Amino acid sequence: MLEHHPMRRSPGSRHERDGLVRTVCQECSVACGLVVSVKDRRIVDVQGDESHPVSRGRLCARGSAFVQGITSPERLTVPATRRKRGDAFKPLDDWKSGVDLLAERLRQVKDRYGSDSLVIGCDREGGLDFHLGALRFARLWGTSQVFHSAADPLDPWPEGLDSPTAPCSEWVDSKCLLLVETDLAASHPVAFGLIQEAQRRGAQVVAADARFTATLAKANLALRMKPGRGNLLGLALAKLMIAERGLDDRALAGAFANADRWPASLEQMSLDGTDAALGISLEDLRHLAVLLVKHAPVTVITGRELIAQPHDRIWLTLAKAMGWIGRVGGGWYPVDAGTPVLAVQGDPGDGWVGPDGRRSTLGEVTERGNVQALICSGNALAEYVSPFGRLSDQAELVAHFGSFPNATWERASMTFPAALWAERDGLFFGGDRSVEWGRTIVEPPAGCRSGLDFWLKLARRFGWEKQFPWATEDGRADHGAFYGWLLARSPAMVGVSLDEVRTLEPGSRCFWPAGESTHPAALRAGTIAVHPAPASLASGAGAPVESGYPLALVTARSSCRSGDASRFWSWTRNLTREDAVQIHPDTAERLGIENGDEVLVDTPRGALPARANLSRAVSRRTIGFFQGVTGPALVRKKDQSADEARALLDESNP
Amino acid sequence: MTTHVRRHLWLADASRCIGCFGCEAACKMEHGLPGGPRTVRVIQLGPRGEGDDLAMSFQPTSCCHCDRPACVLACPTGAMQKRADGIVFSDLSLCIGCQTCAVACPFGVPQLNPASGKIAKCDGCRTRVDQGLWPACTLKCPSGALMFGTPTRVVNQIRAQEALKVAKSFAE
Repeated sequence: MLEHHPMRRSPGSRHERDGLVRTVCQECSVACGLVVSVKDRRIVDVQGDESHPVSRGRLCARGSAFVQGITSPERLTVPATRRKRGDAFKPLDDWKSGVDLLAERLRQVKDRYGSDSLVIGCDREGGLDFHLGALRFARLWGTSQVFHSAADPLDPWPEGLDSPTAPCSEWVDSKCLLLVETDLAASHPVAFGLIQEAQRRGAQVVAADARFTATLAKANLALRMKPGRGNLLGLALAKLMIAERGLDDRALAGAFANADRWPASLEQMSLDGTDAALGISLEDLRHLAVLLVKHAPVTVITGRELIAQPHDRIWLTLAKAMGWIGRVGGGWYPVDAGTPVLAVQGDPGDGWVGPDGRRSTLGEVTERGNVQALICSGNALAEYVSPFGRLSDQAELVAHFGSFPNATWERASMTFPAALWAERDGLFFGGDRSVEWGRTIVEPPAGCRSGLDFWLKLARRFGWEKQFPWATEDGRADHGAFYGWLLARSPAMVGVSLDEVRTLEPGSRCFWPAGESTHPAALRAGTIAVHPAPASLASGAGAPVESGYPLALVTARSSCRSGDASRFWSWTRNLTREDAVQIHPDTAERLGIENGDEVLVDTPRGALPARANLSRAVSRRTIGFFQGVTGPALVRKKDQSADEARALLDESNP
Repeated sequence: MTTHVRRHLWLADASRCIGCFGCEAACKMEHGLPGGPRTVRVIQLGPRGEGDDLAMSFQPTSCCHCDRPACVLACPTGAMQKRADGIVFSDLSLCIGCQTCAVACPFGVPQLNPASGKIAKCDGCRTRVDQGLWPACTLKCPSGALMFGTPTRVVNQIRAQEALKVAKSFAE
């Protein structure tokens, strides 16, 4: 047996301090351990926590630089209002007058347009407490129109998805890691470090994505595929791997509640047209299937968009059928899908679903055209609630709860300054199902409040104190009481108290679902429902075909930006232009676009200005954009008409 | 230069670098630098190639801490110095921001810090190193591309890693 002891690290801080705060980074779902030096109530140094099993003292750019957001000179610190967009904001005396005014305007809107005229948009920056508070407030208000940029804790998890995920720290024991449509090297660099460690120990790293990303560059086998088809890749692999390896009937019966027809459903699924649907040849797929069979156990890591697309559960079925789940180094890890069901809404049912038994999507709400009031945290409005301004243009009231003067703030008529994650206590759920307690590192600026504070104050104006009881004697939000209440009522957290999470020893972690043991290994048994295959892979493609938009827009990830707040870190501005759009050099040549040109990214929903970045990272028919808009698109020079661009892109046109 | 002072090695293994800018951010935060100057710099190469046959790599770069540093010779105020342990640094209390060092350096390492009007350059995290700590960039690097230690230790580390690779290839 070969043993190698890596060099001993010499961690620590050279800065003088009067306090040390040990907490977790909340910039992404990896939740790296932080050791923060504080002096005179200011952060003087940020180091990684060497004892943290995932981050092991490492930190990415965001984990080091979040301090620049806290101390940014551009931060909003007073509630303010204005008559109409374009006017200057008039600061209000205090939060009390701000919330009074907001409550009055909300009442007017409700009287005139009904309770369905309110939409609340949440993003990661607003925090879990803003989102949960919004869900509770909206319920009392009488609407279900609360949306989040990430997974929604109100929606019941698809059956089986609440089964445990192996912690990232076990990736190093994997024999093969399959990354589908996720650029972990850019979006979660510290977790990707564990994949590299596994690779050094002999694991095969396979990555499939529409763009040639840093992740693909580091993989042993890199596959370029059509965007948004990751789950279809899972279906094709399931069929090919079973053909390659066969299935163990006994194991199958133990793993699934309804396994009988599954192999047959895969057998009848036609692989005709796979090449066209996936953009990967059948030969390459067979090669990959053989490789996966040979290198078990495999950990499959799927991108965060895949969880919202059809057939996402094929990965769980596949991992279970192949016996990867239940072995150290195997399993399925859906990126950024790590929040358990939280019972914030009380009894399910009344007032939360439409006549057809489900909640409206954001698209349906937009179509109905009755939205008159918007409350958005961070940059939710500009990022996904209404990126092209359709909702905010028609609304009478747009309230912004955030820390920076961003695009949502520009469209708002009221603004409320928010505390950032390092300035508030809160529960945080890691991507590998860990439950973490994020401690306040420094107090927020005098005028800034947490999301829970916001809803607490607003609820009081409507006489809902009883439903929002988590206040200290001086009327501020009591985050400990709130999260304690939440944990006590969460089905995934039975037996875990907040005190346990808060007092975990350095280096130990707590996971959900918590049952008899807090470690996922104890919970790996149990059966799930299989995911049946469609009749044909090509028929499952289901991508909307929009004539006139011949290119596919995909989201590019940047390792120096995590959310809107990072836009206000002084140094990131110099690294990656936020409005950069990646275009293949050949496509750019056809359109007469040169590097750095001002261009328009045109989609059926509207157009956004951008700067051309010529790169072979994208294929000829794909463009990559940092702003989270995806789907069919067109790119053209600023002074070019859409039809001109279409004609130039027409393949039949020589 | 022969000296009895312990020297250190800063080694960048480009095959590991994933271009996450962790080192750049760590350095900026450690030294309180603004957006402009990049004292550690990750250079992205590619994607280059044709069709599906693409390659992309990242090269972390910083000051070479040369044995005969041109910047030290050129500095008119004596701010730029080389320590006995090899670290080349600029004493900011003496630096007048004339950028002669920037012209002299063949690698374009010294850059002007627009916030202070003085030179920004990797100082090998000399204060940290004096306290026995690793430089900020090496400590935080998520991929392990940056290594730091005495030459013997770093070379041993690389040897062991390469030996492991060879042994694994035989085992397969």
